[in-house]
Amino acid sequence: MAAASASSFTSLKSRPAPGLATIAAVKSGAPLSFSFRRPVPAVSRLRISCAAKPETVEKVAKIVKKQLALPTETPVTGDSKFAALGADSLDTVEIVMGLEEEFDISVEEDSAQSIATVQDAADLIEELVQKKCG
Amino acid sequence: MGERAAAASLKFVTVQANSASLAEARARVFEFFKTTCRSIPTVMEIYNLQDVVNESQLRSAVSSEIRRHAHITNPKVIDMLLQKGTEELHNIVQHSKQRHHIIGQYVVGQRGLVHDLGTKDEGTSDFLKNFYRSNYF
Repeated sequence: MAAASASSFTSLKSRPAPGLATIAAVKSGAPLSFSFRRPVPAVSRLRISCAAKPETVEKVAKIVKKQLALPTETPVTGDSKFAALGADSLDTVEIVMGLEEEFDISVEEDSAQSIATVQDAADLIEELVQKKCG
Repeated sequence: MGERAAAASLKFVTVQANSASLAEARARVFEFFKTTCRSIPTVMEIYNLQDVVNESQLRSAVSSEIRRHAHITNPKVIDMLLQKGTEELHNIVQHSKQRHHIIGQYVVGQRGLVHDLGTKDEGTSDFLKNFYRSNYF
């Protein structure tokens, strides 16, 4: 019975979630990302994987720059790899911890291993924040 | 933040670290670092450090302590250092230490306590400054 209610809960969730994300984007003043308007098929496994908001990528880039003590004009985009920016493994863990603190999330061990670029980190954060709030 | 502290507190029941390889010891180091970072909000609340330091400064103090031993390759030595670190973290979180200990050891740090505090210290030799900092330079 719990499984049935859980699956009905997820299928109910899959439809309003894009709308909620749009509302959240409007509230935060970010430009509306029209990729959220695509209808999500109600599959049994709820996994909406969409690109991270640009402001999340901005925040991640700011934290990365502060941690690695890079000058502010260094370009840090979504594709920048942490290793290319001069971060060793301890730096990467510390950046993930900083992101945990900033966004008030908790990153699992296996998710943390897969983070290689700034975009990965931003996507993971979006996913965790949605899971927490939505 | 509640779940972060809860996740960190479970780790205090640790077994004796007995790493088979350098990779395992490395993984343990990262786990220890993450546990420490997740306990930082608790520490700040216990010792009322909100006006003195912020969380990222404490985090970089912890990572610089770990980085001081980054050149070590023997897993047994790494285990020993981890055990000392865990004991230290345990003491801090259990409030066995006091505020001036935390401020002196982790906020002000090794450099600020002794030297470069006044004009009279600027002439002293680098050898002595390095010597006060650590045995190996």
